[in-house]
Amino acid sequence: MTAFTWFLVVLTEISSLGGQLLFKRAMGEQWENARAKAWCTLAGGAALMTVGFFVWLSLLARFELSFLYPFDGLSRLALLGAAAVILHERISFRLLTGALLIAVGVAFVATS
Amino acid sequence: MSMNSEEPSPSARRSSLSLPSNVHLGLSVVLAAAAQVFLKLGAVAIGEAGFQTLTSGWVWAGIAALIGSLVSWLYCLRSMPLVRAFNLAAATHALVPAACWLFLGETISWHRGVGILFVLAGVAVSAEPASKLEKNL
Repeated sequence: MTAFTWFLVVLTEISSLGGQLLFKRAMGEQWENARAKAWCTLAGGAALMTVGFFVWLSLLARFELSFLYPFDGLSRLALLGAAAVILHERISFRLLTGALLIAVGVAFVATS
Repeated sequence: MSMNSEEPSPSARRSSLSLPSNVHLGLSVVLAAAAQVFLKLGAVAIGEAGFQTLTSGWVWAGIAALIGSLVSWLYCLRSMPLVRAFNLAAATHALVPAACWLFLGETISWHRGVGILFVLAGVAVSAEPASKLEKNL
């Protein structure tokens, strides 16, 4: 993998992460209290997801899916921190353990 | 490490009664896995990156599956915290390699199989509180 390919992998993961955060924000309190604002937030999330989607598509054309897909799993550790800090979600020990097990599994798959 | 409560709002509870958030999550996972296989078939059939791939029917099937998955995911997020939903959605990481083996003829080495087992263990550890949450709704 070249440096540019790594850049594309990071770009698609950051886009997806940002999109998820915006989706959750839109479907939470905003959906109850400020519907118009929620639609704008959803649109922002969809825009980020779209960028990630086309970058992902270009990566799929070059690499095997079973090799590429595990990189997607690494973003869940970043999401754990982002959800705690930005969305103020509670991160229980069980959820943290689950996320770590998944990350280890993803690392195994990625290096296979 | 705990911060705010993860209790869903009253209206989110009401909406989740029509279809449990776990069902929405399951639908989202299956459609996401199907989408990846469709997109791979399309990308290989066209052989080029970018907008050229939109000429493939497989790619459009993948896009339709992704949209269905996204709608289910959004419904799921109304009543389930993002981290919990994201952990449970990791089941896709087991489902996609299985689908690759089954439909694309890709191989799964023992090393990769061990990784998939770890992922499934992580999903199982995260799943128990979710079932308790459903009971409370």
